Amino acid sequence: MAKEDYETIIGLEVHCELSTKTKIFCSCPTDFGGEPNTHCCPVCMALPGSLPVLNEKVVEYAVKAGLATNCEITKVSKNDRKNYFYPDLPKSYQISQFDLPLCHDGKVNIELENGEEKVIEIERIHIEEDAGKLNHDEYGRGSFVDLNRAGVPLIEVVSRPDMRSAEEAETYMRKLKSIFEYIEVSDCKMQEGSLRADVNVSVRKKGDKLGTRTEMKNMSSFRSIVRAIKYEASRQIEVLEEGGVIHQETLRWDDISGKTFPMRDKEDAQDYRYFPDPDLAPIILTDEYIDNIRNALPELPESRKKRYLSDYELSMKAANIVTSSKYYSNMFEEAIKVCNNPKSVSNWIMSDIARILNEKEQEPDEIPFTGEELGELVKLIDDGKISSAIAKKVLEEMFENPKSPNKIVEEKGWIQISDEGAIKEIVTKILDNNPQSIIDFKAGKDKALGFLVGQAMKETKGKANPQLLNKMFKEEMDKR
Amino acid sequence: MDYTKSLVNDVKGMKIGLPREFLAEGVSEEVRNAILEVAEKYRELGAEVEECSLDVGKYSLATYYIIACAEASSNLGRFDGIRYGYRTENFENLKDIYKNSRSEGFGPEVKRRIILGTYVLSSGYYDAYYKKAQKVRTFIKNEYDKLFEKYDLILTPTSPTTAFKLGEKSNNPLEMYMADICTVSVNIAGLPGMNVPAKLDSNGLPIGFLLVGNSFEEEKIFRAAYTYEQNTNFRENKPTFKK
Repeated sequence: MAKEDYETIIGLEVHCELSTKTKIFCSCPTDFGGEPNTHCCPVCMALPGSLPVLNEKVVEYAVKAGLATNCEITKVSKNDRKNYFYPDLPKSYQISQFDLPLCHDGKVNIELENGEEKVIEIERIHIEEDAGKLNHDEYGRGSFVDLNRAGVPLIEVVSRPDMRSAEEAETYMRKLKSIFEYIEVSDCKMQEGSLRADVNVSVRKKGDKLGTRTEMKNMSSFRSIVRAIKYEASRQIEVLEEGGVIHQETLRWDDISGKTFPMRDKEDAQDYRYFPDPDLAPIILTDEYIDNIRNALPELPESRKKRYLSDYELSMKAANIVTSSKYYSNMFEEAIKVCNNPKSVSNWIMSDIARILNEKEQEPDEIPFTGEELGELVKLIDDGKISSAIAKKVLEEMFENPKSPNKIVEEKGWIQISDEGAIKEIVTKILDNNPQSIIDFKAGKDKALGFLVGQAMKETKGKANPQLLNKMFKEEMDKR
Repeated sequence: MDYTKSLVNDVKGMKIGLPREFLAEGVSEEVRNAILEVAEKYRELGAEVEECSLDVGKYSLATYYIIACAEASSNLGRFDGIRYGYRTENFENLKDIYKNSRSEGFGPEVKRRIILGTYVLSSGYYDAYYKKAQKVRTFIKNEYDKLFEKYDLILTPTSPTTAFKLGEKSNNPLEMYMADICTVSVNIAGLPGMNVPAKLDSNGLPIGFLLVGNSFEEEKIFRAAYTYEQNTNFRENKPTFKK
């Protein structure tokens, strides 16, 4: 049987650190970094006798996330203990939620490559605390525990197994990231581990019932998620084709070899012995509380998209890309206030900005300039002060040495030549040097004009105003 | 809140319930008589003391030990030799640290409770033990709530017998747990209670009585206990320590 006869089934458990100021059960800061064990207290260090108090903001942020992903909110829920031993877990249990997650039965729409929309269902979103971090000494002197991250609030978003390709999984996760950025419940910085995913993959022959899944834990870049899913799906197909069986197990993805490996300690299946944490009261929410959060939700990407399509007449593709990230979308809105040219701004975002980020392997939140500055750049073009060729160079410069476009253009001497006298001088010179082009043009070959303009651009290092060049070349050739 | 303000020498009009089940079989003659004397004293001082029924004893011990051990098994997890508690010197890997530190560090009663607690929380047994115990707990709480509709306080022995000899019941934990029979239901119901010394038995060992109040009504307990103390001379007695 061929690979094409199989279908890949993917479900994601996305862990997202909430951007509350303090931890979930104590008042320690949640800031990333810091010297090891400087952001902790008796509660998050699990000193015997210390007691947790639930941070109300965590509930608010999680409800926000639930509402933004069309979930039902559980009005009476609770915190449960998940018991297991690991050095990064000082209490020997993680406070999480088991049978009554704060949010359940939601869905998000994703846009597929072919332009179609697909619904990915969300089974549940629950709140829990993050564990600490182990730093393994590279000289083999042992491992060290850093509890700065212990107790940082997380939401875990569990999807149904609705995705059918690595690309769909990536799109879904990007969508979640974008939504959580829009509603400002998380900074979703994958490089800082504030957005991670456990990826569940199984394969089946089309039409068959679900196959046995394997799980790859703690994946923290889109690139490795896509690679890991592709690798794992073909590995499973290979095993099945050779008559083998897939074991339900946890795998470790190795980014360097590009392979998955079984995690050790398979023999003892974990029994987490979940039970309600007796140190914490149930979480009881009123309709009024939920409605207040609902009413205070900021505009979501779906709604912005509709607005961009109707008010600014962007193409569907442009609207999708611009709203795919809060950072793009905010940049777009700031920029058009300066230049009032939505189409051009969206083009810059979709093409050059997206390309440069891709080359740098960066995310939109890492763009080093503001929306106003992008607007300024577009305005420079619209005002005829620089050509679009120069504008591309300005943009590169804005990424490398962030400064306002006006300043860059001024410092580099890239202001477009729009002085008719100066342009005429150049045009005359080029025409004198290219008599054949004049003949060609007069014979009806429009290409000749393009060639001449190109020569003039070369001569002026791209600074001549192209419209003016076109006009003057025509006028001068008519005279000859 | 200033609880010293509730130290008032007056119980006139207070209604005290005396559950007959707490004076039945298993309670020693001397303890029973002591409690009845206390009841009589309160009547003399102007309280209304009435026999009533609180039939929870037969469930409370099992319920208590399931819930308490479950919580203890989880609470004591942090003594794993990594951050807290004793660490074994005998290990080659992480699993050894956990296993040996805990095996060497904990005493037999703690181990018994951790094992019991782990068992009742295990998948497959959770519903039959832990969940059931939580349901019984609600039942017990409801039984107390009913009594507090009628009474300000509940009066029972603190312990069914006076102290047994040190180590006497160490080989029979179930019998030892029986000594808690009067107090555990109060803990399960989450209610405030206070032991008040009342008498010495014929061997000179102390007997106490237990006053249980409704949630957030500690003042009534303080008041009744204080009144008893002020109107008896028991506090001047000193128990003898016998080998």
